Amino acid sequence: MTTQAADAASSTKIVARDVSVFYGAKKAIDAVSIDIDQDHVTAFIGPSGCGKSTFLRSFNRMNDTIPNARVEGSITLDGKDIYSSDMDVVQLRARVGMVFQKPNPFPKSIFENVAYGPRIHGLASGRAELEEVVEKSLRRAGLWEEVKDRLNESGTALSGGQQQRLCIARAIAVDPEVILMDEPASALDPIATARIEELIHELRGRYAIVIVTHNMQQAARVSQRTAFFHLGHLVEYGDTRAIFTNPKQERTKDYITGRYG
Amino acid sequence: MSELNASLVPQLPIVGVDAHEPVARKPTDWRTGSMQGRIRRRYAAERRFRLIGAGAVVLAAAFLAFLLVTMFANGLRGFTRTEVALDIDFPRSTLIVDQTAVQRFGEQGLAGADLQGVVAAAANARLGPGGAALLSDGAWVEVRRAILEDPAILSGVHRFELPAAAAIDVAAKGDGAADAEVQVARLRERGLLSTGFNGQFLTGADATDPTAVGIWGAFKGSLLTMLVTLALAFPIGVLSAVYLEEYAPRNRWTDIIEVSINNLAAVPSIIFGLLGLAIFLNVMNLPRSAPIVGGLTLALMTMPVIVIAGRNAIKAVPPSIRDAALGVGASPVQVVFHHVLPLALPGILTGTIIGMARALGETAPLLMIGMRAFISSPPEGLTQPATVLPVQIFLWSDEVSRGFVEKTSAAIIVLLVFLLAMNGIAIYLRNRFEKRW
Ligand SMILES: Nc1ncnc2c1ncn2[C@@H]1O[C@H](COP(=O)(O)OP(=O)(O)OP(=O)(O)O)[C@@H](O)[C@H]1O
Ligand SMILES: [Mg+2]
Repeated sequence: MTTQAADAASSTKIVARDVSVFYGAKKAIDAVSIDIDQDHVTAFIGPSGCGKSTFLRSFNRMNDTIPNARVEGSITLDGKDIYSSDMDVVQLRARVGMVFQKPNPFPKSIFENVAYGPRIHGLASGRAELEEVVEKSLRRAGLWEEVKDRLNESGTALSGGQQQRLCIARAIAVDPEVILMDEPASALDPIATARIEELIHELRGRYAIVIVTHNMQQAARVSQRTAFFHLGHLVEYGDTRAIFTNPKQERTKDYITGRYG
Repeated sequence: MSELNASLVPQLPIVGVDAHEPVARKPTDWRTGSMQGRIRRRYAAERRFRLIGAGAVVLAAAFLAFLLVTMFANGLRGFTRTEVALDIDFPRSTLIVDQTAVQRFGEQGLAGADLQGVVAAAANARLGPGGAALLSDGAWVEVRRAILEDPAILSGVHRFELPAAAAIDVAAKGDGAADAEVQVARLRERGLLSTGFNGQFLTGADATDPTAVGIWGAFKGSLLTMLVTLALAFPIGVLSAVYLEEYAPRNRWTDIIEVSINNLAAVPSIIFGLLGLAIFLNVMNLPRSAPIVGGLTLALMTMPVIVIAGRNAIKAVPPSIRDAALGVGASPVQVVFHHVLPLALPGILTGTIIGMARALGETAPLLMIGMRAFISSPPEGLTQPATVLPVQIFLWSDEVSRGFVEKTSAAIIVLLVFLLAMNGIAIYLRNRFEKRW
C-alpha cells in the first residue's frame, strides 16, 4: 500500500452498505448506505423514532446486547468488516467509543468513572499516569474545574449535564478512533453545550465523530456532513452547508424548517 | 454562521403540533363538598394504613419479646451449676499415688489411681451415708484435673467445689423432687452448697447425665456443617445466577431450569434429607452423621434460595450500567465482576442470610442422614460423627430427666446467639458493600 493509498483509505473511516436493523420482525433501519469521514464531524438528524440511535449503535455493535435485534448488510471500520466472526467486539468498542442518549455514569466515584476504561485496557501505567489521563479527559469534557476538588465523590451525584460530560470524559479517556455521540447535549445548558461543541471542534480530525442531535443549529454549527433519516430510511446525506441551505429532498426541507418533527 | 441564520433554519423551530383553539374550561373548584370529602377520605386512608403498619410491627415485636424473655428466663439457669463443697484428705485416703511421679509424668503418674473410689469414699464420709449420690457422676474428673494442675494438693487436705448430681442441681434451682429438696436443705444448712458457672456446658458434648452435658459438640457440628453449606451453596448459587441472567440464551431449556429451581426452593426439607441419604450415604458412601454430609444436604436446600435471590438482584441492576461498561470496551466477564456483581451483592447477601438461617435451624433432613446419634465428643473434622444445635435441642427436649429442661433452653439460647452472630456478620458485610454511590 502506498502512502497515497493509505491517505485515501484513512479519509473514509466507516463504510456502511445496505445496512438494515430489525427488532424482531420490525425493521428500524432500512438498507442504509453511508460513508463516515475520518476528518469530518457527521451529524445524524431526523424525527424522534426514525432510527438514529439504532443506526449509531450498529457502529460499535451495541445492538448485540439487545436480544432480538438483528443487523444485515455490511459495516467496515478501516476496511475491516466489524460483523465478521473474527472481529473482537471488546476491542471494537474500545476503538469506537460511545456517549449514550441518557447519561449513565457508573455508580462509582468521578475518578473511577473516567479511570475505568484506561485501567481495564492497561492504557496507563501507574497511578500518576492514570491521574493525568483522568485530568486530561475531564478537562477536554469541560468538567475539570467543577469536579477537581471532589474526584472521590459519586458520579451519580452530579447534575444531569455534569453526568453527560462525565460520560464524554469516560469515552475519550480510552482514546478511541471513532466517537459516537447520541444527543450528548440534550441535557445541557447553553454554556455547557457550547463547551461540548468546542470539544467536538477540538477533537475533529483526530477522531472520526458521529453525533445525533435534534438541535438543527447545533448540527449546522458542529458538523461538516449531515445525514437526514426518516422512518428508517436515509433520506439525504451530504455537505452540511448544502443540506441546510439547499436540500434536494422536499422531506429534508420540511424537517429542517420545522414543518414537522 | 450568519449566512445559516439567514437560511432556511428558523431561530426557534416550531414544534410540529397542530395549534388547537384553547378549549374554554372552568377552573377546578376545590371547595365543593365532594372535593372536600375526597380529600378527607384520602387522609383517612393514609392514617389507617399507617396505624395498621405500626400495629403489625408492635405485634411482631411483642411476640419476639415474649419468646426471648421466656427463653432467657429458663435458659440462663442452664449456664450455671450447683456445686457441693467436699474436703478430701489425700494422705489418709486409699489413694496410692506419688506426688513426684505426677509432677514428672503428668497423666501417666495418675494411671491406675482409683480417684472415683476416693471421691465416693470422701463424699460418704463427709456428707453422710449416701453422700456419693449427691455428686455428679463426673465429679472425680474435676478432682483429677485439679491434681494434674497442681500435684502439690496431694500432700494435704484440699477443698473441692464439685458438681452436684442432677437431682440435687434441679432441686437447688427450686424445681426438684421432695427427697432431693430435703437433702438440698441439709447441705444448705451446713453451708456446703454454692452456685458456679457451668464451664462444662460451653466446652463439652452430649452426655447421659444432664449435669455433664455440653453444647460445644453440637455448636462445632453446626459450625462445620454451615461452613460446608456456605462454601458450596454461595459460589455455586451466585455463579448459577450470573450464568442464567447474563449468559444463558432464553429458550425452552433455560425456562425448564428456571421452573425447576423455583420448585426446588419450595420442596419440603425432609425430601432433601432423603436425597442426601440416597446419594451421599448410599451411592457415594460418605460417612454417616458427618458434617460434610449434613453440609452437602443443606447446600442442596440453600442453593435455590441463593440462585433466586441472586437472579433478582442481578436483574435489578440497570441495563444502562452494562451498556456503559460495554461501551468503553469491557468484556462480558469484566462487566459482571466490576459492575453487576458489586451492585447486586447486597441483594445476594440478603438471600444468603435467609437461606443460611433456614439451614442453621433445619432438623428434619439431618435426622435422615443420621445426625441424631448420641455423640459424646465434639467432632474433630468434617468426616467425624457430629450433631448440630437444632438436633441437639430436639434430642434433649425428648429426655425424661428434669435436668435436661434448662439445658434445652440454654441450647436454644446458644442457637439464637449463633444465628444472630451469623446474621450480624452478613448484615455488616452487606452494609459495607452497599456503600451506594
Ligand atoms: N430495544 C428495542 N426493541 C424494540 N424496538 C426498538 C428498540 N429500540 C428502539 N426500537 C424502535 O426502533 C425505532 C428506532 O428507535 P431509535 O431509538 O433508533 O430512534 P431515534 O431516532 O434514536 O429516536 P430519538 O430521537 O427519540 O432518540 C423506534 O420505532 C423504536 O420504537
Ligand atoms: Mg435516540
